[in-house]
Amino acid sequence: MATDAGIILEYGRTRKKKRDWRGFVFQLLFLFPAVFFLGLFMFYPIEETFRLSLMRASGLGDTVYIGLENYVKLFTNEEFQQGLLHVFAWAFWSVVIQIPLAFFIAFSLIAFKNKLTSKLRAIYYLASIIPSAIVAMLGRFIFSPRNGVISSLAARWNWTWLANIDFFGDSRLAFWTVFAVATWTYIGFYIVYQMANIEQIPVDIYEAALLDGATRWQYARYVVIPMISYPLRICAILCTVGSLKLFDLPWLLTFGGPGYATTTLGIILYKQGFINAMYGRASAIGVIIFLLSLIFTVTQFSLQRKEGEIEW
Amino acid sequence: MVETAAGRRNTYFAEIRHYKTQKFIITTILVLLALAVIAPLVLPFCFVFKTQLEYAYDPWGLPKQLRLLNFREAWAAVNILHGLINTFLVCLGAVACTVPTAAMAGYIFARYQNKFTEIVFYMILAGWFVPVQMVLIPLYRFTSQIGLSNTLPGLFLIMCAFGVPFWSMIYRSFFRSLPGELAEAARIDGAGHATTFFRVMLPLANPATALAVLLVFIGSWSDYFLSLIFISDQNLFTMQLRVAQFLNQYGVDRMPRYAAAAIIAAAPTVLLYIIGHRWILQGTLAGALKG
Repeated sequence: MATDAGIILEYGRTRKKKRDWRGFVFQLLFLFPAVFFLGLFMFYPIEETFRLSLMRASGLGDTVYIGLENYVKLFTNEEFQQGLLHVFAWAFWSVVIQIPLAFFIAFSLIAFKNKLTSKLRAIYYLASIIPSAIVAMLGRFIFSPRNGVISSLAARWNWTWLANIDFFGDSRLAFWTVFAVATWTYIGFYIVYQMANIEQIPVDIYEAALLDGATRWQYARYVVIPMISYPLRICAILCTVGSLKLFDLPWLLTFGGPGYATTTLGIILYKQGFINAMYGRASAIGVIIFLLSLIFTVTQFSLQRKEGEIEW
Repeated sequence: MVETAAGRRNTYFAEIRHYKTQKFIITTILVLLALAVIAPLVLPFCFVFKTQLEYAYDPWGLPKQLRLLNFREAWAAVNILHGLINTFLVCLGAVACTVPTAAMAGYIFARYQNKFTEIVFYMILAGWFVPVQMVLIPLYRFTSQIGLSNTLPGLFLIMCAFGVPFWSMIYRSFFRSLPGELAEAARIDGAGHATTFFRVMLPLANPATALAVLLVFIGSWSDYFLSLIFISDQNLFTMQLRVAQFLNQYGVDRMPRYAAAAIIAAAPTVLLYIIGHRWILQGTLAGALKG
């Protein structure tokens, strides 16, 4: 084996000495579209984002260099503080609620498999594939005051306390209403993803747990969760990074309101950039979103590794 | 191939005595949750066949006759057909731009490893972590300067740029899993670099291509955010923009019409899913497990 590899390497080296121009041109040609698209629509705008975030740039007037003033203004702005708070709350609660719920469903679907439950995976995933605009439409259908399904059912059964709840208008409830709608649509992917990973666990491990007299739930806790800790970590990262980019559902359901009750970084960026035409300020938000997603990803990986070291 | 636990799940665990009750409870919970998932898609049918008057009088009663009036009104209000055509064009464009670009780049990353391709590889990998929100403002200004904003190509080219990193990584891992001898054999038989790729390697990558086509299509099908930013002309509105427009203009005041609109809006996606759920699930899994 080793000599084979040596020969191949040697062969490669002699080829290289001859300068394989044709191969090089081929590589250039094949990489060009990808580099072109990314350069034009991603890397050039990244540079511009950093530059603009240090400028006062708007629809009117000149662009002037103002240093970090955009950032200072943002962090002292109440709307932005609220948005940041919601992003962190959203990230926290989606990791705490959505992922365990998805794990419960995924594990139960596998551990208690029968004719009925084996059909359910496709149904759970159905909600994830529905576009967010339509999800918002269905969300309003369920939660709207007076005409929504919940209100009209409550009115029918004379539960006035429930019929009078304004799920979108109450500033304490609005966040949770949007969160519930989001859970409905996001959870399908986590279920399907975790099921796929649970199904990858080799049968030896399962049998070993069986021989040791583990119950299903012990098997889940002590075998399955450690075995799929990497996919779970991926889910957590998807949740948190997704919360930074959150825009569609809060915007379509409540426009970030009432007041700032459901505003997110994505909504503030959209408002500043495309309604108020404050390009510099909006770019600063873009930079913050990027830095936060970087921080979230890195900390989650390092946190999980530390936990893993303690457990093993 | 490792034998997995999923293949043998009928073996009983230690708690065999309580197994039946436990199984019953869990199955009930699972079924109830599944019902909660489909309820918002089914409940509109309770209202859709009634007139506004009938609805106001008794929302949950059975309809007296099957009226299609609401569908007609909602169809006109949402104007979804036009939106569907635009969405379809955007999806086609996104697929046609993303998949070949990603396949070519992934092939180079897998089979031509040297300093130069490595640098490009890390560049594109870095692009995977860039959220589109970050670059939105300059992107918008730049596309308006070159006349691409407010056009369908502008929309799908941007989707393409943000889809290429992920799909070239998928293609890279796929091409690496193919035996290299095949390419070598083709080369020895006198095929050039391009012929090797197009005649030998690309057909072998058909599973990856099918996956990419399907998921890129679905991704651009459900996009709302980018369409909202880059499309402002009513004639170019995609389906999602039409739906959002209906949502903001009419609201839920006339429930039967709203229910009809919800059914009309959700129907294409649900139909697509019913026809193709097997491939969609498999595709998502393959993408998720590799990525």
